[in-house]
Amino acid sequence: MQLQINNKTHEVDADGDTPLLWVIRDNLGMTGTKYGCGLAQCGACSVLVDGEIVRSCVTPLDSVIGRSVTTIEAIETDPVGKAVVAAWVNHQVPQCGYCQSGQVMAATALLKQTPNPTEDDIAAAMVNLCRCGTYNFIKTAVNEVAGRKEASL
Amino acid sequence: MNEILRHPSAEAELPTGAPVNMSRRGFLLGSAGVAAGALVIGFGLPVGTARAQDAAAKVAPGTRVPAFLEIRPDNTARLMSPFVEGGQGVFTAMAQIVGEELDMDPQSFVVENAPTGPDYLVVFGKMRITGGSMSVRTSYDTMRHLGASARAMMIEAAATRLGVPAAELTTEPGQVVHAASSRKVSYGELAGDALNLPVPAADSVKLRDPSQFRWIGKPVKRLDMYDKSTGRAIYGIDTKVDGMLHAAVQHAPRLGMTVASIRNEDVVKAMKGVHSVHKLDGAVAVVAERWWNAKRAVEALQVQWNEAGAEAKGKGIRVMPADFSTAAFADRLAKEPGAGKDAEKEGDAAGVLASAKTVVSATYHSQYLHHAQLEPPSTLARFNDDGSLDLWMPNQAPEMFQADIAKMTGLDASKVNVHSPLLGGFFGRHFLYKSANPYPQAIQLAKETGKPIKLIWTREEEFLRDPMRPMAAVRFRGALDETGMPIAIEAISVCEGPTEGISGHNPDKMDPTALEGLTGKDYAIPNKRIAQLYVENPTMLAYWRSVGNSMNDFLYESFLDELADKGGQDPYELRLKLLKDNPRLSNLLKAAGEMSGGWKRGPYTAADGTRRARGVGMASPFGSYTAAIAEVSIKAGEIVVHEVWEAIDPGSIVNPAIIDAQIQSAVALGLSQVLLEEAVYEKGVPVARNYDLYPILPPSRMPRVHARIVESGEKMGGIGEPGLPAIPPAVANAVSTLTGQRIRSMPLSHYTFEA
Amino acid sequence: MKKFLLTLIAIIVIAGGGLFWFVTHKPGSPFDGETASAAPADLVHRGEMVARQADCVACHSTPDSKPFSGGLEMGTPLGSIFATNISPDKQTGIGNYTLADFDRAVRHGVTPDGKRLYPAMPYPSYVKMTDDDIRALYAFMMNGVQPQNVPNKPSGIEWPMNMRWPLALWNAVFVPSGTYAAKPQQDEQWNRGAYLVQAAGHCGACHTPRSVTMNEKALDEGGTDFLAGALLDGWYAPSLRQDHNTGLARWSEDDIFAFLKNGRNKHAVVFGSMAEAYNNSTQFMTDDDLKAISHYLKSLPGDPARDGQPWAYVAATSATGNAGKPGAQTYAAKCGFCHGTDGRGKNEWIPPLAGAASSLISHSESQVNVTLNGSARVVTADIPDAYRMPSFREQLSDRQIADVISYVRSSWGNHGGPVTPEDVKALREHTDPASSNPIVLQMR
Repeated sequence: MQLQINNKTHEVDADGDTPLLWVIRDNLGMTGTKYGCGLAQCGACSVLVDGEIVRSCVTPLDSVIGRSVTTIEAIETDPVGKAVVAAWVNHQVPQCGYCQSGQVMAATALLKQTPNPTEDDIAAAMVNLCRCGTYNFIKTAVNEVAGRKEASL
Repeated sequence: MNEILRHPSAEAELPTGAPVNMSRRGFLLGSAGVAAGALVIGFGLPVGTARAQDAAAKVAPGTRVPAFLEIRPDNTARLMSPFVEGGQGVFTAMAQIVGEELDMDPQSFVVENAPTGPDYLVVFGKMRITGGSMSVRTSYDTMRHLGASARAMMIEAAATRLGVPAAELTTEPGQVVHAASSRKVSYGELAGDALNLPVPAADSVKLRDPSQFRWIGKPVKRLDMYDKSTGRAIYGIDTKVDGMLHAAVQHAPRLGMTVASIRNEDVVKAMKGVHSVHKLDGAVAVVAERWWNAKRAVEALQVQWNEAGAEAKGKGIRVMPADFSTAAFADRLAKEPGAGKDAEKEGDAAGVLASAKTVVSATYHSQYLHHAQLEPPSTLARFNDDGSLDLWMPNQAPEMFQADIAKMTGLDASKVNVHSPLLGGFFGRHFLYKSANPYPQAIQLAKETGKPIKLIWTREEEFLRDPMRPMAAVRFRGALDETGMPIAIEAISVCEGPTEGISGHNPDKMDPTALEGLTGKDYAIPNKRIAQLYVENPTMLAYWRSVGNSMNDFLYESFLDELADKGGQDPYELRLKLLKDNPRLSNLLKAAGEMSGGWKRGPYTAADGTRRARGVGMASPFGSYTAAIAEVSIKAGEIVVHEVWEAIDPGSIVNPAIIDAQIQSAVALGLSQVLLEEAVYEKGVPVARNYDLYPILPPSRMPRVHARIVESGEKMGGIGEPGLPAIPPAVANAVSTLTGQRIRSMPLSHYTFEA
Repeated sequence: MKKFLLTLIAIIVIAGGGLFWFVTHKPGSPFDGETASAAPADLVHRGEMVARQADCVACHSTPDSKPFSGGLEMGTPLGSIFATNISPDKQTGIGNYTLADFDRAVRHGVTPDGKRLYPAMPYPSYVKMTDDDIRALYAFMMNGVQPQNVPNKPSGIEWPMNMRWPLALWNAVFVPSGTYAAKPQQDEQWNRGAYLVQAAGHCGACHTPRSVTMNEKALDEGGTDFLAGALLDGWYAPSLRQDHNTGLARWSEDDIFAFLKNGRNKHAVVFGSMAEAYNNSTQFMTDDDLKAISHYLKSLPGDPARDGQPWAYVAATSATGNAGKPGAQTYAAKCGFCHGTDGRGKNEWIPPLAGAASSLISHSESQVNVTLNGSARVVTADIPDAYRMPSFREQLSDRQIADVISYVRSSWGNHGGPVTPEDVKALREHTDPASSNPIVLQMR
């Protein structure tokens, strides 16, 4: 099967029901996308498909054929993604960092679709789990990219 | 940040999509080798642990500069941290401390976890664990001396180079300066010359005056932010070596059971990508070319399990009874007869309670908890041609793992190379727990297949084998005098402490981790008795962030509010009265009150029309002191925590920004515990095998958090854990005030609240 | 109340006395007087297929018990009853049953000592099984199954409701007599399908509505209620008739075949009780038998009056007004990642909610149940599914679940109607989360 990831086409040998997550991690060797639960509960595996946020652990490979997948490895090639990463560093968001690839992807998807999100938009979009509890830092960083100085800390 | 350790992005590495040979490009560069072009001082960084082991007998931990530091020609430093980074910011703190004394900007450091070796046993100068919120406070002096020694070596080398007396030389960040001749030499240039210099005696180096600190005590930016924001950071689960195969396991439903037979081994062996099927101790495994194939295949195995036999006892594990339920066990703990063994005793609590006019009694409960760190456990194991064994695995104590593996495999410890990647969260999960770590399985599989094996546990297998934070029932009694002041308190905790659960119960000793948070309270209650009634758990137990304090401060501080209510006292004012002779804690509590705009208990109606109340809790864990106030309301039957104000007095500090982040983090975990978490067992198995049935705090439940550091200048305390214990009681006390319903157990999701 | 009960009992006793002979006699069996003979291997093998068709293991084994040693607890409003040990153990099982005894139990619900079985045992369907199938099934049970010495658990139903003999009267009224009679006007495939569906397959036990006397309202295609959909044990088994919304009208024969063979097709994935029926029964049937079932089911006409306005997909947009509904945000956070923001699922791996029978039927139980508890793993040829439905009972309140299901049932053209928090609360209290372990009941 031919899979388009980060603007490159890869020939992938895997069953159609294989989760995109494991194709990315094992077949393609890109480990920035994380496995946390395998059940769409945590969001550590979030990637973009045609610009929309998906959880790659519950995305069958055959459902993304012919579509464009973006992973954290290419996030800075997108201007919004680059701004999100810069805000993440600026606000010192990560702690253990394990969920942060997914958080950055979720924030990028939100801000690409809704450049000026409301607090409610942010709450609705930023639903990935973080066991270190960096939620307030995430909110501040998203607000910064959205051009708002929200004192949420 | 510099580029030395940056793992090239997989994207750049993967023009063909083929897996990268990370063993050369990543690991050797990252953790064991000497990078090309780098000049290394002394005898260099460890090229394996053998050299360090040779010198084991003579090494004073934390003194040999070359074992810790490499200065490169581009004037960047590579620092070996004795402590593993799992989000708590210790790599940055180490760079700040060493950089301060070495006179080198922490931002020019690359920090990684040190290999095993006697040099790194810097906790109390004799051991190495990352836990107990001990890293910075126990190694602070050592690491300062280390940095100062390195600086002295730079000056010495520069003196020779410049032909001037060392006394005429000073330093500024990254270079030695000879002011008289306006000459400067960078550390990078000097590193080669420093090669042969002896490390100066510890007492001969001068430490910087704290008033002159540039980085210690400042909100220095963390060094790992960019890599962690771009997927470049490498965790155990991400490690790769050439020729590696993937493995997944299916554990016996109950610990102690063993494999009897597999019904459908042939079917599974024929599945796509499957390399082999293996029977392990209490588990079966599949090795495959890809992890997903291994995972599906191992789930397909239909295993018949034998009940545990007598041999299970010898393995140091606990046999899970087929009928075990947490509900029944909680009931048993509450009713277990006995008065327990004294852990802390002052005055005559029994006598006062017997004669007091007003006595309050209540039984409180804490629950089993999962660590639920987001990174599932994994181990990559590789046997090398020279008979050595390399292991990459999350761990909080490399030497302890190494010793266990040496014992298990019969290899000499020097042949066991433990690599400790970044931790995707730990919270106490990655200590040496029997039956809870994947490495024995990975080693066996590597041996049986003759290939490097990376074993990853699924979330479901993790929740089946995760050792838990103990549960307890605490029987409280308190006596009040006629003014409503507590004059006696008794707490009998029916429980097993995590330490005795892990290392074995000694009937002649108390496990301090069982009762910390019931013991060590500083309130001036003249008569007290804190006791433990030991009941062995059938489950495997573990440390969980804040250990005993994680539950005991909830239990004590909530009961203290009951006493306050019974005595007609405001709980905040009562605490102030009980602390009136303790200026440090009075000051701290007042700071929390002031932060919150002045103590107000409620219930009251907030500006948005919601009914709200506030609660207070205090704790003295891990050498630091905290006071927290939480504000809550109820929405659609669910507790909403709006604000948390927490003041912490850790004595003195290294990085206020990291402390702020750790308070936020500890608040989140404390809230998660009090609002949502409980690991439930029924019929000998955990009900929850994933986050669906074991929810952890989601972003929607995160309050605004206001942290304040009160630097009293006292002895340095811990940071990673102390923020947690005061949170559950602050919330529970607020809820009790708001609803009039006493909260005597966690989590609150088990209570019904009227909207 | 007490007086009433006593009167009732008196009437029952008097009436019963008069009917003593009727309620204790044993029905005849074509196998009466036949003595045991060695069973050839092919007969045992054929019997194993019949056991799969009849899904005996579903009740007479549990994941923790040995094959056919009994133990499944079936809750009734009167108390629990437990499926019995039907392994060939002479002491605790059916080791002493003759073929005729076995026949009487399976097809007539009467034990060798004349006791009437509760119709939880689907003998009203099994009565239609052929003599050949009964003989084969007996051969398998006696020779293919290991004897297990496991005493039966006593029923939790108390006197007087535990008296079994009145069931004889129930049987006389509600249980058909005689084996399946082929319809000559239909072809062989149709008749084979009808036989499997009505007899061993006992599809109607779940899919046919029951009357107040608890009998299935129809036992074959002669009744329009046959397989018209029914609620049982917290799951709504949908219509298997040609109903556009709630039945199989939009499914081709190949779709039905794929569903029974692979547990999934582009319309749906087995869940709830059907996941168990699939794991333990339908996937083991031969392709010819599954095609026959599919062929037969496609012949059962639908009822547009009952089925309502035919569903057609409508995109969910803010223009259609459902983006802002309560539940929309929960859907996006908890459901949409798998079932799609468009409600269309992911190929055949994750089922669509748009147009699903469960989204269109007024009974919401299946959706509430699967949301609260998740669903059992779907195991195909030993291999568990790649994706499973999680349980949301610990994450979402009754109100949140009601809102999100109401959202699903009113989006994408769905019109199943709203769900209340009370609906959710009722099921929450009486159900448990599904296991994440794959459960495959063994027969040998």
